[in-house]
Amino acid sequence: MQAAAPNIPNDRTVDLKKVYDAIVVGSGAAGGMAAYVLASAGMKTLLLEAGRRIDTTEELKSTEWPYEHPRRGEMPPDRHALTLNEYTFRKPPYAERLKANHAHSYVQGWGGSDYSKNIVVDEKDHPYTGTNYAWVRARCLGGKTNIWGRLALRLSDYDFKAASRDGYGEDWPIEYKDVEKYYDKVDLLLGISGVKENLPYLPDSIFQRPIRLNDPEVHLRNTLSKMGRTLTPYRAGVTTDGVKNKYRMRCYGRGACNRRAGGCDIHAAFDSPTGLIFPAFETGNLTIRTNATVSEVLVDTNTGKARGVAFVDTVTAKSYEAKAKVVVLAASTLESARLMLLSKSRLYPNGIGNSSGHVGHNFCEHVMGPNVTALVKDKDGAKRTLDDGRPGGFYIPRFRNLSERNPKFIRGYGFEGGSGVTMLPDSVFDTPGFGKDYKKGVRDYAGAMISLGGFGEVLPRYENYVDLDPDVKDRWGISVLRFHYKFGDNEKKMCEDMADAAQEMMEAAGFTEISLRRSLLTEGWSIHELGVARMGTDPKKSVLNQFQQSHDVKNLFVVDGSSHVNAACQNPTWTIMALAWRSCDYLADEFKKGNL
Amino acid sequence: MAKSEDERRGDVEAGRREANATSGVGRREMMKLAAGAVIAPALPQTGQKNSRRPAKAQNKAHRFFTPDEFAMVDELSELIIPTDEHSPGARAAKVAEYIDRRLAESFGDEPKLQWREGLKLVDQISAEMNGRPFMQASQDQRVAVLSRMARKESNPEKPEEKFFVELKSRVARAYYTSKTGIHDELEYKGNTYLREFAGVDVSKG
Repeated sequence: MQAAAPNIPNDRTVDLKKVYDAIVVGSGAAGGMAAYVLASAGMKTLLLEAGRRIDTTEELKSTEWPYEHPRRGEMPPDRHALTLNEYTFRKPPYAERLKANHAHSYVQGWGGSDYSKNIVVDEKDHPYTGTNYAWVRARCLGGKTNIWGRLALRLSDYDFKAASRDGYGEDWPIEYKDVEKYYDKVDLLLGISGVKENLPYLPDSIFQRPIRLNDPEVHLRNTLSKMGRTLTPYRAGVTTDGVKNKYRMRCYGRGACNRRAGGCDIHAAFDSPTGLIFPAFETGNLTIRTNATVSEVLVDTNTGKARGVAFVDTVTAKSYEAKAKVVVLAASTLESARLMLLSKSRLYPNGIGNSSGHVGHNFCEHVMGPNVTALVKDKDGAKRTLDDGRPGGFYIPRFRNLSERNPKFIRGYGFEGGSGVTMLPDSVFDTPGFGKDYKKGVRDYAGAMISLGGFGEVLPRYENYVDLDPDVKDRWGISVLRFHYKFGDNEKKMCEDMADAAQEMMEAAGFTEISLRRSLLTEGWSIHELGVARMGTDPKKSVLNQFQQSHDVKNLFVVDGSSHVNAACQNPTWTIMALAWRSCDYLADEFKKGNL
Repeated sequence: MAKSEDERRGDVEAGRREANATSGVGRREMMKLAAGAVIAPALPQTGQKNSRRPAKAQNKAHRFFTPDEFAMVDELSELIIPTDEHSPGARAAKVAEYIDRRLAESFGDEPKLQWREGLKLVDQISAEMNGRPFMQASQDQRVAVLSRMARKESNPEKPEEKFFVELKSRVARAYYTSKTGIHDELEYKGNTYLREFAGVDVSKG
């Protein structure tokens, strides 16, 4: 068994008179990493988390059978999970006029949702306005890392230097060799499972024991290899051989990794509390206050530097200030931008760090929607096999716009997919009719499907942005974000190609198409929002330098996904952590030299 | 492996505490939740002890359905997922009992109304087609009623067609999340400790 969480003192005992070396706002992938690196470097660090602390070891119950749960894993009846239709036909704030007492984002919508209901926010307390957007937020220690999808990929110079390659947008102020060492450090500290493929556009990690593929997946891998494409076992941010961390166990292939809004109660899958925050706490340099919703970065009017933050205790609704020599924002992409925009002062009338006017802009993410499910004929009615218990199925890296240039769209997309039996197979809901035929259909098809779903790069555009709503406030009286965000023509054309390519690959493998989805899912569906405070060399066109340090305020850093210059098409968590580590190394160094 | 009575009570009470802590809970909702907590201990456990109870005593345990409604739902569930040569069906998996429990605690009256009205429709259609209520019709006649309701499953229009979709989805979810559905019918092999993942390691060539 893994060690119990350390005894973190009560929120009210946190010393707010003291001037900390650094305040970190947010405790997910970025904030956890910042706390870990700064505390390890000897800096007295205060970590503020808006949500409460949840013991996920107890909460997630990933090995519980559905029939052991009073509602078979579903949420209590007074809670509602938003559906695709609600995101499509209604306008934010989605929880408005909803009868249920509590409303959650769509990730709570399928089975298993009762286990993560306390991790994702109640939309009634956390509204937003503007254009349609499925904004999934987790306010608790560790944030979304408690339930993330675990796909852990690297970016390459195809992404960092994408603008030089195709002329669109801006290059990142870094290249792969600047961040490679930090990807390695993240791999070794946290553990990652995968297979080396030697692809220049999807660099390999330092992998632990890989996930295995079932027969249809191996067949598709071999088919794609002849087409010059790669299907590789899911690169999971999961330790399969173990890491030196007493709070985490190695993956033992049990548990509900397939459960919608997953989570790992043995912490083999990376989560920020066990992977980063508890080890940071053990240095003796980290102070943690949960239930602390930061509402503003405070400014020293003499120096123009950040002097701390204002926050609301969400239990008592009382307001406080915390003081520090350096402020690090890691509140999640959109929340960090919101915080910068909220921090208006005489010195920074457009919000702190926003002399460029780019905070909130160049908002990008991944587009989802195109999806093909096919039947593997020799698995139809076959004897039941054990295909479950894996942290993921497979990943097909991008194959567009690498050496050739697609005439219809720029950039690329990848696919996630899988085959095999799951505990509650789709055939339960997809098989028509009733009676013996229905029952047999469910049984025969339960392990016979293979599916592919795409994730494509959404181009960063200045005109896709968030700002503060002048009227609407959240439960704590803080102005909410207003979205001005739409997919563009490039995404639509890319998705047409995505659906065609998925069909083509299934056909080539000899699988029979059962269902095809061509349309785009609502903006936000990938839960990969990025951009909005991008890095760059030109302070007029970017918010941060290559170390995620504000061009305007040298003791302000923004180390989460908001700093990304483009979204690439790879899942961002591993890159967020590698960049945060790199920037916090720099920060600690500059701090010691007295440069901040 | 069902939850013990104490655990189950704990769940209800936890839900109540949570509701108390939320400012948005209206008085009516609070009373409903409180009522749920009082009824909970009277719930029969799935499995062992209660299975030998006489039918009359069992009827008392239904929380939402009347005895007649319950018998109908039980029969409909078995028609949708029957016992076959492979495994027991919905009746053995106590699907109707689970649906009854979930409907009793549903938020707002809409689902309850839909089921009450839906079951009346089943009887009406049976009367129309067979000249007698559903439960008095023959097996073939019952199947005919359900077939008519299931005609437009992918695009239901009439109330009885919509009710079929609701009925089937609740029955299917209840059955395939039951012990019978997972272990006997689908013979699911996962949720077990593995030293190594199942399948082929493609890193080894």
